[in-house]
Amino acid sequence: MQRTFPFEIFRYGMILLALFIAMIPVAWMISMAFKPIPEWSALGDDLTWWPRQPTLDNFRFIFGQSTNDLIVELEKTAGRPILASLLASVIGTLIAMVAGTSAAYGLSRFNSGKNLPLALIQLRLFPPLAVMIPVMIMWTFLNLIDTWWGLALIYGIVTLPFSFWLMKTYFDEMPREIEEAALVEGCTRFRVFTRITLPMMAGPLASSALLVFILNWSDYLIALMLTTREWQTIPVYMASLSSSMTGQLYGAKAALGLIAAVPPVILGIAIQRHLVRGLTFGALKQ
Amino acid sequence: MTDASGATAMSKSISDTKGRQRLASADQRRLGFYLTLPTQILVLFIAVFPLLMQLYISMTDWTPLSGLNWTRAYELWAGFANYRDLFDDDRFFGALWRTFLIIIIAVPIEFLLGLAIAMLFMEEFPAKKVFYSALLVPMMIVPAVAGYMFFLLFQSDGPINQLLSLFTGSKVAISWLSDPDLALAVVIMADIWQWTPLMFLILLAGLLGVPNDQLKAATLLGASPWQRFVTIVLPKIKTIMIIAVAIRTIELFKIFDTLYIMTAGGPGVATETISVFIYKITTLELVWGYVAALALLILVTLSIVAALGMYLLQRNKSRASA
Repeated sequence: MQRTFPFEIFRYGMILLALFIAMIPVAWMISMAFKPIPEWSALGDDLTWWPRQPTLDNFRFIFGQSTNDLIVELEKTAGRPILASLLASVIGTLIAMVAGTSAAYGLSRFNSGKNLPLALIQLRLFPPLAVMIPVMIMWTFLNLIDTWWGLALIYGIVTLPFSFWLMKTYFDEMPREIEEAALVEGCTRFRVFTRITLPMMAGPLASSALLVFILNWSDYLIALMLTTREWQTIPVYMASLSSSMTGQLYGAKAALGLIAAVPPVILGIAIQRHLVRGLTFGALKQ
Repeated sequence: MTDASGATAMSKSISDTKGRQRLASADQRRLGFYLTLPTQILVLFIAVFPLLMQLYISMTDWTPLSGLNWTRAYELWAGFANYRDLFDDDRFFGALWRTFLIIIIAVPIEFLLGLAIAMLFMEEFPAKKVFYSALLVPMMIVPAVAGYMFFLLFQSDGPINQLLSLFTGSKVAISWLSDPDLALAVVIMADIWQWTPLMFLILLAGLLGVPNDQLKAATLLGASPWQRFVTIVLPKIKTIMIIAVAIRTIELFKIFDTLYIMTAGGPGVATETISVFIYKITTLELVWGYVAALALLILVTLSIVAALGMYLLQRNKSRASA
């Protein structure tokens, strides 16, 4: 529309302001992650946004190396929680994608499972806490408490709505001529799905899987309820990280937070074209 | 509806082999059944069975400490006592009220900010893509980590107080997270920070769908920006606006991660929302019969709201297309 000079100034000014506000909390945590202990809490006037003596000590500390300043030893290092988060998120994503994709194809092509769209929307709508008591009883009975596979199973179910709805909209949009041609050539219906349709959908499949992975990786509440010691995920471990000797381990937690925050941000930016569709259950496309 | 044309084309192309097609469709139905089976089983496993279990437990005073297996909870039968108690529970209503308060304040602010930023992105300008990606970063931060970021920012010896001291010239030492009102404000600020990008993302997708030629025509006819917005843009993105607000409202109703990391519902119960309340009475007070009743009440209420919302959205859609 109108491209007047003052308007362009106004536009950039506003965007930069928004960007500034968006970046403040991130910048501060990054700064904390690289600060040595004396700079963690400098009582007011002395805070600096740029670490005076940048250090990797915080990262070394959470992986088990005690530093000169910090005499405490961690009874548990960050390696195991990172592994737990990775295993539970990846396998959870696999469960959600396999079940969700095939169900979406079944509905899109053969009109099976007509109850699923609404059922899965409701699954997403409900607070996970509202079914936590039965889930905790069932998980105890199945010996799944405090295991990464138990966590993977519930992650797979909780993110099913996303994989299902995303893949359903992609299958609905896909032209059917190629599948029909393959059928005429004598392929079985299932082979058409696995050999023709899925390879054609490689892009959407990958971006849906990444979105589901981000959602699994971001969980805190479910892991808080279902893991106790062995297989705590990163956020649960981070929250439990404090020391009776030094109080809050600000820098160490910030370092861990940074490790937790980086993968979803990178993956999220990589799939940003699919985010609108993914987060609105396919109601909107970009 | 959209499948109709494809279906007729398909039936035309193989109408000469109708017998074979009927055979195939029985096959296809079976394949469809098997393809949807895993999801059906998972839904049954996580929804139907647990809900029945929950209904049963909610009628008893069973707790994991009672030394009984849950199947024998009938020995502690309580009838509807748990449901009755809910209506006398001030802490529950307090948590409910606080949850709504957060929604009522945060969602409109997120919506207006998101819309305003989205409108700045309607035309092309240099470095648009970079700004767009950077502005999406907050919503991709793990919520628990976002909570920790705000926890750090709002320490009484933290950077926010430092910035305030700089502007006011005198030393500011507000204990944000231990003051009941301020703690709630920080919780709301954190949510606005993290989720305005989502509003921006969704609303921008809607705005970019508005036909440019209509806007140009309106400009040529002398319509003011405000007139253009109300008469052309608004009708086109009304549904999208409703979806965006609905998504945020639903998600905010469940708010837990950021809040629990920052304040754990405190000080006292000052920031205790529904989710935090349920979490605390589940893990600390262990009154599972009561929690089950509460959870069922919330599930039933949400189901009704969801059905109503879907009905309204459908009606809106069919009316818009008519």
